Amino acid sequence: MNRNSTNPGDGVSRRSVLATAASGLALSTSGCIDRVGSVVGQDVTDRLALSITTVPADSDREAVRIARHLEANLEAVGADVSIDMRSPSEFLQTVLIDHDFDLYVGRHPGGFDPDFLYGALHSRYADERGWQNPFGFDETQPESLSGTPSPSRDLSETAPGGPSIDELLEEQRRTNTDDDRRDVIADLLEEVVEQKPFDPICFPEEYRVARTEHFGAWDVDDDGANDGHLPTRHGFLGLEPEPGVDQLRALITDTRPTRNLNPLSATIRDRGTIVNLLYDSLLTEHQGELVPWLAESVEWEDGSLHITLREECPFHDDDDDDEADRYVTAEDVAFTYEFLADTSYGEADTPSPAPRYRSQTSMIDDPSKDIVVEDFLEDDSYELRIDVATNIESVARRALTVPILPKHRWENQVESRTESAEAPQGEWGLVTMSNIPAIGSGPFRFEDSSQRESLTLERFEDHFTQDDDDLPDIDVESIQFGIDPGSTAVERVANDGADVTASMLSTHALKGRLEGDGEWLDDDETSETRWIGPRQSRMFYHVGFNTRAAAFGDSSVRRLVSQLLDKSWIIDDVFGNRAKPIAAPLSDEWVPDTLAMDEDDEEPVTPFFGSDGELDVDAARDAFEDAGFRHDEQGWLLRNDDT
Amino acid sequence: MIPEGTILTEVLTQLVVVVTIALLLSIGLFVGRERLVETTAAWRSRFRASAPAIGVLLVVLLLNRVVRWRGDQISSAVGGIHMTETFYRFEGEFILLFQSIATDELTMYFSAIYIYGYTFMLVFPVVAYFALSDSRIFRRLLTAYSLNYLLGLSLYLLVIAYGPRNVMPEVLEVTMLYDNSPQYQHLTREVNRPTNVFPSLHTSLAAIVAMFAYTTRSSYPKWFPVAVVLAISVAISTMYLGIHWAIDVVAGLALAAICVVLSDHLVGRWSLTELYESARHRLEERRRNGE
Repeated sequence: MNRNSTNPGDGVSRRSVLATAASGLALSTSGCIDRVGSVVGQDVTDRLALSITTVPADSDREAVRIARHLEANLEAVGADVSIDMRSPSEFLQTVLIDHDFDLYVGRHPGGFDPDFLYGALHSRYADERGWQNPFGFDETQPESLSGTPSPSRDLSETAPGGPSIDELLEEQRRTNTDDDRRDVIADLLEEVVEQKPFDPICFPEEYRVARTEHFGAWDVDDDGANDGHLPTRHGFLGLEPEPGVDQLRALITDTRPTRNLNPLSATIRDRGTIVNLLYDSLLTEHQGELVPWLAESVEWEDGSLHITLREECPFHDDDDDDEADRYVTAEDVAFTYEFLADTSYGEADTPSPAPRYRSQTSMIDDPSKDIVVEDFLEDDSYELRIDVATNIESVARRALTVPILPKHRWENQVESRTESAEAPQGEWGLVTMSNIPAIGSGPFRFEDSSQRESLTLERFEDHFTQDDDDLPDIDVESIQFGIDPGSTAVERVANDGADVTASMLSTHALKGRLEGDGEWLDDDETSETRWIGPRQSRMFYHVGFNTRAAAFGDSSVRRLVSQLLDKSWIIDDVFGNRAKPIAAPLSDEWVPDTLAMDEDDEEPVTPFFGSDGELDVDAARDAFEDAGFRHDEQGWLLRNDDT
Repeated sequence: MIPEGTILTEVLTQLVVVVTIALLLSIGLFVGRERLVETTAAWRSRFRASAPAIGVLLVVLLLNRVVRWRGDQISSAVGGIHMTETFYRFEGEFILLFQSIATDELTMYFSAIYIYGYTFMLVFPVVAYFALSDSRIFRRLLTAYSLNYLLGLSLYLLVIAYGPRNVMPEVLEVTMLYDNSPQYQHLTREVNRPTNVFPSLHTSLAAIVAMFAYTTRSSYPKWFPVAVVLAISVAISTMYLGIHWAIDVVAGLALAAICVVLSDHLVGRWSLTELYESARHRLEERRRNGE
């Protein structure tokens, strides 16, 4: 599958092949006992066996605690449950690429517009690998693959004639007014909550900690003028360093960026904060809006985006002699979208869409036809038109948030590795390997990294922000991202060992240091260390169900499992109330009243069987029995094969 | 990164100071002046006799360093098996037993044992056995250390598992080492990865030292009880602090026994001098025959 044996990237891709083999081996020894059981024969046991995939506490303590809460409650109703713990990149590999899970607890990157649900749930992505529909959710398939008919009452209430999730996802892209769209999205959310391919738990509040001593940007009196910038590009610009300060020392808790900067990897990136510094996109998020970035202007007209690029913005490899390759042109933009749609660039038998940015580009049907470079006869064209399959401007503009890749770099890469006719999505060398030179056009360029220790980016002097008076300057010469295990990050900033935590802090790290909505560390202004936040995250914690797995082919089972989660207890006990519980994965403005959490943070559709984190075991067991399960004399939860 | 370095340097300096003081005291207490004087006279010959064992240990330590960092890659290449859930299912919340006796003093004691006591335990026998006139026990000790790392590392590659602190953080909050003393995480991060739990090398090395202390109790009668108390404390500390499962500790003890027995079989089996002599002999013979 990976035919790049002559290339230095071979090590990585061979590793991924071996990893696949290894995970196959692991599969045969773990999890999914029910599937094995059904092969061996009915006399073994038909106990409901589930494996919850999550990351270790070192990486996400909150996720582990949610997984353990769910594990305990599933066991209480008689299921056979295990926790499958994987490192962050292996976790994403297992869930997004291999689809080798029953259910998982993790963070979903969310999205800027409700349209992100299109990528997250549309059945056209059910067989793809990446963040697009990892649940394998597909209403067009029969509900249960296990052959167990569902006698669930709830199911029969779902009117067969009602619009499906796919239809609603399409419809919200085609409505004529904002109010119409809001209504369609309300319907969509209700349907999503009913079908429950995943159960959203909460939006965490993002807190970071920054030292005011060396940077003016954080030393502001009026309630944090710079709040909320940090995970975005603007957060690293206009830092106002004190004289003599030329480096920003930022801490990250995740070692993955020090090992691999491939912008297309689905398993290495979470939000792509660092990729956003290395690469520019046409628009960038600033204060909750998408504003022009690499694009000078974007005009919206009848289903088309007319884009004018900033002129003469060089890529980082501008030392190259070939002048034609220096600037980001409309050609590079067109290439980027074609390449994201098929990373084999037409060389493989079947297209291999990038495992990232699929949702963002899903409104461009066919980039080779729908993207028109104006004045293409010129050497450097800076204008192009993108036709999109929506009449909602905010949906179309999502497409402009992907990183623009240098055509001259990636085209070569594709040519050098598509000797074979296969490029498995999300797995082939180009989207996994670490030795793709991190050449973008962004405000910072790659300088140096030391695996699991640090990553240094240096200012890109020729970046357009340096000449544009309306944009903040890149006013540090370099950013050094250091790794901190997390628990000492706050302390290191407080002791002037770093200037800021670039990763959001876990609730655990805030414990005892942040009182109420205090502004300063330990409420002590002399500490010169202040909180940045809370910023409501767009990422949300959720439980994802593998609807391909026998156990979760049936929506009534998914709903029942959701009812084993006490969201209000999770918010209180796991997140110390620094998270917002949700039933639907969008911000309040889109969520209909029927799906809003009530004043006690009680889930409106799938309420917890019990209260204060304590499961009402009898009620939960009865509900499972009503849904077609039975319990044997040991109290084990069995599938009912009689029905 | 410099700031991390600062924390690391601080922790390391502290470790070196504490262990050095403990070493000086215990050398005075257990080894005694007489043996030291003897050693200064005979160190050259003892060192020469032990050179192969020292060399092997150094190579193993170097290998250890490389493999621990590249562990995840090698692990997937050799088909490492994810075992966290197996361990957790097997013993469940057994180690929470130690949580029930937790006090601040105990937490302090076990944290100190895990970091300082363990390091001291590793280093002291090296000095003490070098001071014995028969270098065999010294060579055996180093060989047992080498075996311990070799076998332990192989198991790390085959068994991918996270320790209790990663699985049940909420119940371990009170005693968990890195929650109480997060600075140590910078130290252990240098030498370990979070999936290196099976077996507990803390336990196995401490047990090796205790077993050797038993063997040498006639030479160092006072060291033996101290070593036993320390070894038991180290084994308990790994569970008390939430770092290892009980299974890891049991496996560590088994590994220690294997290493001690193997070291007895291996050491003295091949003498480099003899090999050299016989090779020279053969060569000379051949030359003579050729003439």
